[in-house]
Amino acid sequence: MSESNGHLQKKMLSNPPETIKVRIKRRENLKSDQYTDTFEVPYRRNLNVISVLMHIRKNPNTTDGRDVTPPVWDMNCLEQVCGICTMVINGHVMQSCSALVDDLLLESGDNTISLEPMSKFPNVRDLKVDRTPMFDHLKKVHAWVELDGSHDLGAGPAMPQETQQERYAYSRCMTCGCCLEACPQYDGDNYIGPQAIAQVRLFNMHPTGEMNREDRLEALMDDDGIANCGNSQNCVQVCPMGLPLTRAIYETNREVTVHGLFGWLRK
Amino acid sequence: MAIKFSRTFLLRKLHQITGIVPLGAFFFVHMFTNAKAMNGAKVFNDAVADIHHLPFLLLIEIFGIFLPLLYHSVYGIIISAEAKVNVVSYGFGRNWLYLFQRITGIFLFVFILFHLLHLRFGLFAGIGLTDIAVAGNASMAYEIIALDFQSVGIVIFYILGVGATAWHLGYGIFLFVVDWGIVVGEKAQKAALYASAFIAISLFGLGTNAIFSFIRPCGLMPSVLCEQTEKGKAVESEKF
Repeated sequence: MSESNGHLQKKMLSNPPETIKVRIKRRENLKSDQYTDTFEVPYRRNLNVISVLMHIRKNPNTTDGRDVTPPVWDMNCLEQVCGICTMVINGHVMQSCSALVDDLLLESGDNTISLEPMSKFPNVRDLKVDRTPMFDHLKKVHAWVELDGSHDLGAGPAMPQETQQERYAYSRCMTCGCCLEACPQYDGDNYIGPQAIAQVRLFNMHPTGEMNREDRLEALMDDDGIANCGNSQNCVQVCPMGLPLTRAIYETNREVTVHGLFGWLRK
Repeated sequence: MAIKFSRTFLLRKLHQITGIVPLGAFFFVHMFTNAKAMNGAKVFNDAVADIHHLPFLLLIEIFGIFLPLLYHSVYGIIISAEAKVNVVSYGFGRNWLYLFQRITGIFLFVFILFHLLHLRFGLFAGIGLTDIAVAGNASMAYEIIALDFQSVGIVIFYILGVGATAWHLGYGIFLFVVDWGIVVGEKAQKAALYASAFIAISLFGLGTNAIFSFIRPCGLMPSVLCEQTEKGKAVESEKF
């Protein structure tokens, strides 16, 4: 396998096990208690966590011999751009579509994979969470460009190359929730979180979006605003799309400080 | 456009600035004053007397130290209580620093409370310490502390206290510059972190040496760095 055609050769288990064990944290509905079911899945090459879950869905029998309802989870694009299949795998938040079994077993050194729903969102059922809070945050910070009407407005204003590049990085956010899950400050509705702050940067850097700049800054000065950031910087470490989240937070800190604390000096 | 202030925003900003000015600035001055103990009891006692001669001393104490300290520590504990610590799952370096900032803060609440009540207000005579406060007794300042430091436990507690303060202030400076948007990019963050570490290590060295200056002359430093004794000066002047 030395020939790689220029492709990146993934690390694989040299001595794979016959079967792998999968421990899944489950829940009937929002109000019921969490419990754990363990399943056994035959190993094959190139398994990812979604294909493991699909196998369990076809054979929902636990290792202690019970037939159970198939575990519920969300998935859509299967190429790490939609963010919906995010869950906590072996204690780390990531997308289950791009989490490869070989990588997980190589890292943990045993044959068990643990799957949990994200802990910071309402847990609808099994591995499925309700990510509505994140979309509410986007509404709160006015994360869009205002449009006067549907008539032709012509070409938009030109943007410097540097701005385009920085905005492109922020535009890759897929609202998956990894940053909020790993944030030690975020817990429900006390902090708006890195995701929304990065979108404030994205739209404040846009020549037309800039017209609502102060609305966005004021939204971030609210009680659940940017000041709740504790600088643990976990967000930038776990972001699967590599957004420069701390840069977004600190750049916005500068704007909010100048606007909020020193704004009155301009009166 | 009207500026809308939220409670959390203002309280956090006040917490951040009080940590730098006056508290951080005070710690610099405090460690520098302590370092004067290197040059012997008289120099140190004179330094304490100089502080006693400051105009409006009581007002400086209340508004420059006590109130900011009370606010910074109480609000700091509220912030610490909000933390959902997750270093076990996410053991990144800066996540540990996030945790240490809260641990040192809570430790310092205890240490500074003890330090203030004992040396400023003369309490804790019952546990083998003197009941004379350094404040108001400049001529005995060196003696009082030297007596305290005969106990190994107190010396260790003070080294930990100075270490925790240096750490908390050093990383606090990093937190201040990012929270106020002075430092933004990744490279600048790294530079700010190195500068913070340098400040923390320097303050820890300065403070620890001052602690040992109450145990042996010139602390941990070689005696050439300290003021020469009268006899030493006489020998020196004969040479030239």
